[in-house]
Amino acid sequence: MKNIIVCMKQVLDPEIPLSLFHIDTEARQAIQPKAMPPVLSPFDENALEAALEIKDIQESNVTVISLGKKLTKAVVSSALAAGADRLVILQDEAFGEFNTYLTANAIATAIKKLGQYDLILCGLQAADTNTGQVGTGIASILGIPCITAALKVELDNDKVRVEKALPDGYEVIEAPTPVVVTTTYEVGALREPGVEAFMSAAKKPITTWNARDLGIETGNTGRFTMIKMDAPAHESKCEILEGSSSEEKAVKLVTKLKEIKVI
Amino acid sequence: MSPVAANYLGIPGYVVFWFLFAIALGFFIQRLYLLIRLLKLGRPENRSDRLFYRFTSMLAITLTQWCSLKSVNHKDLAGIGHAFMFWGLILFVINYLIFIGLGAGIGLFTILSSSAFETVFFSILDVAALLVILAMIWVIIKRYFIKPERLKRKESIGEKIIQPLLITVIVSLMALHYCIEGFGYAAYGIPDSWPFIGVSFAHFLNGSGISQDGLATVYRSLWWLNYIILLGALVYAPRSKHLHPLFSFSNIVFKNLAPKGSLRPIDLQKPETFRISEVNDFTWKELLDLYACTWCGMCHTVCPAQLSGKPLSPRELILSLKEHLLETGPDLLKDKTVTVPAVADEKADAEPDSALAKTSKALIGDIISEDGIWACTTCLACQEVCPSHNEQMVKIIDLRRHLQLGALTEIAREPLKNLRVRGHPWRGSMYARTDWAEGLGIKIVEQDRDVDILYWVGCTGALEDRSLKVTQAVAKLMKQAGVNFGILGEEEMCCGDPARRLGAEHLFQMVAMNNIQLFSSYCIKKIVTACPHCFNTLKNEYPRLGGQFEVIHHSQFIADLFKRNTLKINQARETVVTYHDSCYLGRYNDIYKPPRQVLKSIPGVRLVEMEQNRKNCFCCGGGGGRMWLEENTGQRISEMRLSQAIDTRAQVMATACPFCLQMFEDAAKTREGEESLKIRDIAELIVEALEIPRDLADKA
Amino acid sequence: MAENSGILVNCEVTGGRLAPIATELLGAGSRLAPELGQELSAILIGSDISGLAQETIAYGAKKVYVVDEPSLKDYSTESFLMVMEKVVQQAHPAIILLGQTSSGRDLGPWLAFRLNTGATMDCMALAIDPATKRLLMTRPVYGGNAQAVQVCGTDPQIAAVRIKAMAPSAKDDTLQGQVINVEAGIDSASLKTKVLERKIEATAGIKLEDARVVVAGGRGIGSASGFQQLEEIAGLLHGAVGATRTPCDAKWISNSQQIGITGKIVSPDLYIAVALSGASQHVSGFFSSRVIVAINKDPEANIFKVAHYGIVADWKTALPAFTAKLKEVV
Repeated sequence: MKNIIVCMKQVLDPEIPLSLFHIDTEARQAIQPKAMPPVLSPFDENALEAALEIKDIQESNVTVISLGKKLTKAVVSSALAAGADRLVILQDEAFGEFNTYLTANAIATAIKKLGQYDLILCGLQAADTNTGQVGTGIASILGIPCITAALKVELDNDKVRVEKALPDGYEVIEAPTPVVVTTTYEVGALREPGVEAFMSAAKKPITTWNARDLGIETGNTGRFTMIKMDAPAHESKCEILEGSSSEEKAVKLVTKLKEIKVI
Repeated sequence: MSPVAANYLGIPGYVVFWFLFAIALGFFIQRLYLLIRLLKLGRPENRSDRLFYRFTSMLAITLTQWCSLKSVNHKDLAGIGHAFMFWGLILFVINYLIFIGLGAGIGLFTILSSSAFETVFFSILDVAALLVILAMIWVIIKRYFIKPERLKRKESIGEKIIQPLLITVIVSLMALHYCIEGFGYAAYGIPDSWPFIGVSFAHFLNGSGISQDGLATVYRSLWWLNYIILLGALVYAPRSKHLHPLFSFSNIVFKNLAPKGSLRPIDLQKPETFRISEVNDFTWKELLDLYACTWCGMCHTVCPAQLSGKPLSPRELILSLKEHLLETGPDLLKDKTVTVPAVADEKADAEPDSALAKTSKALIGDIISEDGIWACTTCLACQEVCPSHNEQMVKIIDLRRHLQLGALTEIAREPLKNLRVRGHPWRGSMYARTDWAEGLGIKIVEQDRDVDILYWVGCTGALEDRSLKVTQAVAKLMKQAGVNFGILGEEEMCCGDPARRLGAEHLFQMVAMNNIQLFSSYCIKKIVTACPHCFNTLKNEYPRLGGQFEVIHHSQFIADLFKRNTLKINQARETVVTYHDSCYLGRYNDIYKPPRQVLKSIPGVRLVEMEQNRKNCFCCGGGGGRMWLEENTGQRISEMRLSQAIDTRAQVMATACPFCLQMFEDAAKTREGEESLKIRDIAELIVEALEIPRDLADKA
Repeated sequence: MAENSGILVNCEVTGGRLAPIATELLGAGSRLAPELGQELSAILIGSDISGLAQETIAYGAKKVYVVDEPSLKDYSTESFLMVMEKVVQQAHPAIILLGQTSSGRDLGPWLAFRLNTGATMDCMALAIDPATKRLLMTRPVYGGNAQAVQVCGTDPQIAAVRIKAMAPSAKDDTLQGQVINVEAGIDSASLKTKVLERKIEATAGIKLEDARVVVAGGRGIGSASGFQQLEEIAGLLHGAVGATRTPCDAKWISNSQQIGITGKIVSPDLYIAVALSGASQHVSGFFSSRVIVAINKDPEANIFKVAHYGIVADWKTALPAFTAKLKEVV
């Protein structure tokens, strides 16, 4: 029986229409609008799919860990509907979106508390912070290797084989378990639960821990401070070239580009 | 006298009569019993409500032959032929029951023969038999010479012999009627003038020189021949491939009384009830459809998927399922636990000796392909046109529900996932639900509950570029007319139609329950919407989940505004307009007049109809969740319909549905250069005619 | 323990040469170091790279740490991390600059956690806070919808910088500097990960990141054959073809040509956006381009808010005319 852990972050919907996206410059974070519920970070969904594909072919236990200030049950339990066996929620006022070290430490501690683990999967980077550090952080704290940017993940006995993306190709890396692997979207789109799967989620166990349950320090380590955050204004200063037909417009465009010496 | 009065080889005729009858009846009942047992294999479904209405409705539909006559058009008059054949044969059935059953069987022969009743009745029969024979000639010409598209199909030997057999039997029975009449009268006494043909034939026989005894013998022989043919038909009928004469009546009795096209909600706590592994996982009523199919092929020729080259034919679905039921049914009766795979792949992997491998066909894969299952646009043309009131579309949706049990199929995953996560199927939309309303001063119900009517915008109306203009047009009209309305704004969630039609029942119930709760909490009673899919779902599907509201389509609403003179257009606009009926407005809800009334409220508009309009309108291809699916096979359904519109030489194609609008705009784009036909929603046309500024809500 | 001082730049080597990102980071370093009154140094890790030390000095590094070993020819997390840690122990820099490249994205976080400090990834701008003398790092967040400025309170401050975000320093061969050779000293037995094989896709034509002109297509292109027209235009302009995520998902074009926050970030002189709506995840991949041009049939498309010039036209009819005129003028 293999134990696979998948770290999934609840984030502000990356596909939020711009008219709903506002930054609270005081709090230095985006405002979660009521109209647009949060979602699971897309790369993390790919990570879950990688775990489930391993589970499809060998007996595995998939635990999803999700960390945040306040998690929405409908959002995070969709991981259970997709096929995970258990959900562990790490919820605490201190668990802000941007604190890389605290996130990695809390998750690593939770993983140690859970006991056995062969493979830990994370998404390449979260859709809100876009940093891509937590996977490595967890590996560093647990003292295990981390292979980032996986296109494909295979678990074979006590070895993990990963196809890692390179700028112009890929390389196949092998490492003994336990290992952390961060996934790109190429490992596969997360399966969407149908009726049976959707209804079965309600029967699966959910555990909730806070910082005290984990026994970790949440104070400022000084490693990171957010000084400022704002959303750059969108100015529509685009010069639209007119014409009576598509062809005429296209010709005008070429002429213009030649005029400004860009071609 | 009575043919049964005589003795045959020492045995009284009565004995022979009843003995033969008993045998025939026995065989009949034996087979009929099996057929009914096969039906009972199906899942339960309650169709026993309003039995009196059901029965009288059936009589009204079948006796008037409305079932056949409703599909008659200038290209296909077969319905008329069937009607005459039916009326003629019904009269003959009555004839057999009275004159053979009561007459010969119970000994009322002497009273009946030469009675006034017989004279009148046989006179009618003489005409009826003639009409039936003409109908048969028509059948022969149609089937073997004209060979219409709807009758072309691959038939097995058993299926091929039915037609000629049936024609032969019917013609024989008609001929025998005249012969029995003629010889009977010739032998025993010819009545004056009526029945005309019988009497004329009898006179002819009299002059032929055959002895009275000879005539009597021939008469008796023909009578018994007739009787034996009838008994043979009785034995054969439930064994033939052509079961509709036996079962269409009951199928019409048990027809759908719920709103057209509405679907059964499924108990989500019991997902196994969705499973369609084997044919008996359909309900008994769905199985009854299979028997009731008349093989007319009408559904096949009106199906837009079929006409555009997709691997879907409602007729073939029904007939293959029927074959499958007859084939596997007996085994299923023996061992109800035999589970057979629904998907062809599983069958291929099965152990060679297992029951799995032994099944001749898998439901999904062999009988109907997955592509075929997804090709259906749920336009309801097949169900509308079926003389037996079959429900082909419902079976297809049931198959979709089965496919969506474990993980959602890839084909519709993105829009359905988006519906679960974001409450709408339009992934990638850059808009928020209230963006269209910017600057229009529209009430949002959450902030101001004082509204008379809720304007339900719908996902397409709020989030799809082209449709935003329609939403704005409707809102402007309502404002102009001084209607006190509000919108749900960001709280609005998909009505659930795509989820339901794509088989993701859990998502449908999730959003539907959410919406019903919203309506209740805001005390909403009256809803107006510009989308026929939302209209149909809110009006016809929500009640079964506990949500009952008054739902009005914008065409009805606007038509009403004009009727009450709240809106009036003074300036004439000379335009030729053709109106495309939306399936969900038309066939589903029989709303044909209001949109046309709206168009006619614009002075100067000349309305031209496409050849296929109203009940037999041609789908745009967007229903059944297909709006979000790729159309990779055959022709584009929307392009086919667009061509029909262009053929009318209209300047404008008017629609009343955002799906139709979107489909036709997309289709128009693929027609290189031809930008001559404008596609507009009726609301947009009214706004243009009223000259309300269109661009109030330009996004900066 | 000596106080951390100086800026250490990780100079990546590709194809036996200094990668453009290396010169850009040295450029940034040479502008930041004087503000701190500290020294700029560089680290070169690879195989057969000692010859590049002088060039590194020519771009402004006062000290170059060279770790030259056959096993370091290709990037590998464990060995490069060990080497970096070793050099950092020696150099104890206040700031470490890396490229936001495939290796930089891997190495940055590892270094941060190993050195008990923080790394800030995908920086678009760097500055020194005059008051605190800490590095101010500006980076995109929320898929590019917003910008954040971050500071690291612990040393060394690690920043991974976007390619083409910084101007490279001018090469001056007269500059002098110190070359320090460092023994890698890697115990191969301690390495847990093993590379079994490496597959390089032949990239025909100009690399996307280096191209001066990029022609990108979106969902509206509709098919792989549609992209051929873009190839033609790119060819005429000596540019490269890119795409948003949809064409890559649909396999109309290779994944390595995806532009956006999850693909490649480009900064060409000319970016031609064809039939793409301009969703922010894609826009953040090219918004720093000098001139952005949009061809889209939807006048309300977001791309028109981002572009400098645009035409509202269906690409199917506009591109042939565009290409024809291009042939005339180019």
